[in-house]
Amino acid sequence: MLFQSQGFTLLFLPLVLAMYYVAVGNAAARQWVLIAASLLFYGWWDARFLPLLVGQIGATWMLAGLHERTGRRGWLVAGVVLNLASLGTFKYLDFFLASIEAALGQPLPRAHFVLPIGISFFSFQLISYLVDRMRNDAPIYPLRPFALFVLLFPHLIAGPIVRHNELVPQFALDPLREGLWKRAGAGLVLFTIGFAKKVLLADPLAGIVDPLFAQAQTAPLTFGGAWTAALGFSLQLFLDFSAYTEMAIGIALLFGLVLPENFRRPYLATNLREFWRRWHISLSLFLRDYLYIPLGGSKKGRARFVFATMGTMTVCGLWHGAGWTFVVWGLWHGVGLAACRMWQSAGLRLPALAGWAVTMAFVLVGWVIFRAPDFATAGSILASMGGAAGFSEPLQGLGLLAAGAAVSALLPSAHEIKDRWLTPQPAWAVAAAALAVYCVLDVGKGAPTSFIYFQFWSRTCTMLPGAGS
Amino acid sequence: MHDAAWRRFVTLFVTTFLGGVVGLGAFVVLMDPYDVVPFSLPIERRLVSISQRHMYPQVARSGRFDSVIVGTSTSRLLDPEVFNAALGVRLANLAMDSATAWEQLQILSVFGASVAKPKMVIVGLDRVWCEPAADRERITFRGFPEWMYDANRWNDLLYLFNLSTVEIAGRLLGYHLGLYPERVRYDGFEVFVPHEEQYDLERARHNIWQGPSRSVSAQEPPVRLSEQEERALRFPAVTWLQDAVSAMPDTHWIFAWMPVHVAAQPQPGSHAAAVENACKARVASIAERHSATLLDWRVPSSLTSEDANYWDPLHYRLPIAYRLVDEIVAAARGRAERRAAGGSR
Repeated sequence: MLFQSQGFTLLFLPLVLAMYYVAVGNAAARQWVLIAASLLFYGWWDARFLPLLVGQIGATWMLAGLHERTGRRGWLVAGVVLNLASLGTFKYLDFFLASIEAALGQPLPRAHFVLPIGISFFSFQLISYLVDRMRNDAPIYPLRPFALFVLLFPHLIAGPIVRHNELVPQFALDPLREGLWKRAGAGLVLFTIGFAKKVLLADPLAGIVDPLFAQAQTAPLTFGGAWTAALGFSLQLFLDFSAYTEMAIGIALLFGLVLPENFRRPYLATNLREFWRRWHISLSLFLRDYLYIPLGGSKKGRARFVFATMGTMTVCGLWHGAGWTFVVWGLWHGVGLAACRMWQSAGLRLPALAGWAVTMAFVLVGWVIFRAPDFATAGSILASMGGAAGFSEPLQGLGLLAAGAAVSALLPSAHEIKDRWLTPQPAWAVAAAALAVYCVLDVGKGAPTSFIYFQFWSRTCTMLPGAGS
Repeated sequence: MHDAAWRRFVTLFVTTFLGGVVGLGAFVVLMDPYDVVPFSLPIERRLVSISQRHMYPQVARSGRFDSVIVGTSTSRLLDPEVFNAALGVRLANLAMDSATAWEQLQILSVFGASVAKPKMVIVGLDRVWCEPAADRERITFRGFPEWMYDANRWNDLLYLFNLSTVEIAGRLLGYHLGLYPERVRYDGFEVFVPHEEQYDLERARHNIWQGPSRSVSAQEPPVRLSEQEERALRFPAVTWLQDAVSAMPDTHWIFAWMPVHVAAQPQPGSHAAAVENACKARVASIAERHSATLLDWRVPSSLTSEDANYWDPLHYRLPIAYRLVDEIVAAARGRAERRAAGGSR
């Protein structure tokens, strides 16, 4: 079930909210309502994967319990291995087989597993809990709140990535506590903003971008076409993913829960390190705490820093998709982050505008590699952007690109809107509700398109370096 | 105080949202521009949209017609009123732009299910009927509202709450208020080509040839398919046509290969032409078995070679359309006379 579908907006969400607030006086009952709703929400896509999801949660909880009783760290290690094995099997097995096949030149069989949606998110959240247990930084929770921490449908499929200690304590809070109406108002507005960004900007941008990337697989794009593809995708990706986050944060607020910030206008960053402090923040923080710092971080010398950065960003790339283009995208950013830190450590500075231009150019090149189905296509688009196919044709969809850029640059982050910008003006309520009605009508014309981030998780890599063209 | 303001904010949002959703939903359902809702207002529903795939099922179900034309845009200029006057039928022209054979058969199926004994079915045949992938590529990029073509009208309610239906419902209201005209005649006929006075031969030639005019010569020697090759050819749509004809045995079927310009036909003597001829032969065999009338204008001829007869490679001019109607009427009358003579013998 998609957030932006009529079924979700007009039926599922109102019904779950009604049941939740009927049960609001009983913490256990309202948590069961959310668990049941989340299982239905997940099962709507593919009920076959419910046992996997429930199994990973149950096994992780039991292993943590065994560790609590026996004090043996091995139970936690077993839990991490179990979650990694599940993720590796469903998401990466065919990618590794294809890579080995390319290296050996021998055909190998494939598993052809269907990728369970959201597996990267829930596996990472479970692993983070187990690692925190190893660090003596996580208590044993009762099964119900523990399961709900992973299952909670607003963040289950595409984040933000939430840590147990951010969410579980909130389940005990009374949803009717002080600020109920402000949370509800902000939730409704954030949901509407995300809805509008998705259907009025991100999806129409996809209509321009997708054919260009498809065309680039067979023939070079024009100069204008290549820049349209690169700029359009950069905007589409941000608008789509941040829209999902805003809807997720908005929905959670309606239940009295606060999810963490995920984007803070990343395309205003004036250097690459700042970009990663603004882009997919919950993932950046997760990788920093559970990978970058354990690998050595920046405190153990330059070589260790480069190693930690490159290792972290390689995993970051692989997390986004099982393909070599994603790995190279991660490495590209790893190199950029290492260079950026060294530049800054040397005391060098660029004027803000120049820094912004360099950063955006770097990010733009990265997104072309990220989006392209193979290196040949990415290379072709980048070459056309550089004028290899001449300098013909203007940008396509200029109005849409401009609108997307303006919203990306000007619209504050979800938490900024919630905490600072939104005031209870009646005109805002009417305008937001009218926009929501328009969006509900807009998605009714046919089957809604999936959020773009879902696609990266379902893409399996068949293109390998050298075999991609 | 602050909480009261937020409470008012939420109340206003929810009221506006629910008011908008319920109000617009009720408006669409009551106006029911596609005539699919079992409990809509009992008002006259004219065709106020040019989305043929959405508007024609209500025409097919209306009970006002006993005969039908299906096809693509190459059949849309055939005026039903001429047939009605000449043959005593009540004909609807439900040909749809770029319709695949499968889509054409869907509207025919709705018509067949609604009319007890269809008098006449004219199938305007085009390249789509010979598509080997007709069974895999059943619809076009336009999409196809299959939900509107099944027998269950209640499931249609799920598909009506969208911007375009609200807009079309508004147009229907505008029609009843005298603010908006009927877009397409209720029998489906619409002159979609520009007015004859705007015809420009040079422009038409450019459209037809996409460059300088050329002559179309036959390939020599012509390709002849072996029996084995012919047997291996797949024409799924022709098989469907056979099924459709069998399902309406008492209907007068007219198969007409529509006259596209030679520039849009396979080069004579080529492999593509040989394949198309094999397809035509299978259609001819159906026509023979079921005493259908068969006309073939999809051949190089003075009609299809003359640039001045066309707007573009696919679309002939309006006077040509009336010529074709006359020929179909004559063929239909000839069949009727032959049958009458046969009967008297």
